[in-house]
Amino acid sequence: MKNIKFKGVKFFAVVLFLYITLFIINGEQTFSALQTSALIIIKLLPIFVVVILFTAIINFFLKPEHISRHLGKNSGSKGWLYALLGGILSHGPMYVWYPMFVDMKQHGLKNSLIAVFFYSRAIKLPLLPLLIDYFGLIFTVVLSFYILIGAIVQGYAIEHIEAAN
Amino acid sequence: MRKEESNSFIKELRKALSVFISMAPLLLGVIGLVGIMQTYITADMMASIFGWGVIGDTFIGAFVGAISSGNPTVSYLVGGELLEEGVSLYAVTAFILSWVTLGIIQLPAESEVFGFRFTLYRNLLALISTIVIAIATVITVGIIKL
Repeated sequence: MKNIKFKGVKFFAVVLFLYITLFIINGEQTFSALQTSALIIIKLLPIFVVVILFTAIINFFLKPEHISRHLGKNSGSKGWLYALLGGILSHGPMYVWYPMFVDMKQHGLKNSLIAVFFYSRAIKLPLLPLLIDYFGLIFTVVLSFYILIGAIVQGYAIEHIEAAN
Repeated sequence: MRKEESNSFIKELRKALSVFISMAPLLLGVIGLVGIMQTYITADMMASIFGWGVIGDTFIGAFVGAISSGNPTVSYLVGGELLEEGVSLYAVTAFILSWVTLGIIQLPAESEVFGFRFTLYRNLLALISTIVIAIATVITVGIIKL
């Protein structure tokens, strides 16, 4: 872990600058924003641990050639199914999964499956009862069905765009 | 687990941790922006910008969902409030969908991780899908309920 190359340092500096500027304009509200961010970090800590563990488990059990076979160029329908299921079962915001994908991409994970994963995340299994309560069962079933179709269409579109490029 | 396997797993764990640490500035930046958005943009502010017809409101719903961030539960609560305030179901559906699938706040981070081109294509496709799915869902539900 000696030679860590940090990503997004400039982006972080911009956000820091934004906080300093907003703090000068409206100190109270910006302090509240800082508190909100701190609470988000605390809430996300268990998910971060899960993502780190998950990445290590994947790399331990699935060697690069396995990832390439199951989620790479020639993965076929199995890869699409894994991406859909992974998206549906994944928890937390999209960006907590970036480190795992950075690692898996180096082992051959294809971009179209990342798109499928990110869109199928719109189906949140633990939150389905709440969605049903707010918008009804028919709405929830129809929306979930279209989300799955939308995720697959996006994956195919990314694949075709990349092939065309 | 044998000793060799155990060592190998610890090695993988360290590798995963170092990838994660390398992305810490990026993640902290995104979380910092989420904090600002959640504090400065209220549900009332969101409700005030609707009122441009079905298509217009669906676009606005998708856009507002894309700039918002947080737990999806909040999107259902805000969506419910928007419905009560007379915002169309088309717009609310687009709003709750784009809340999870699109993220204007995290665009710089996504672009740095996956590349500008992939990020652009993915987000454009997600935006189009969100609008089409929102309209298709409300129409389909309407037909089923007839």
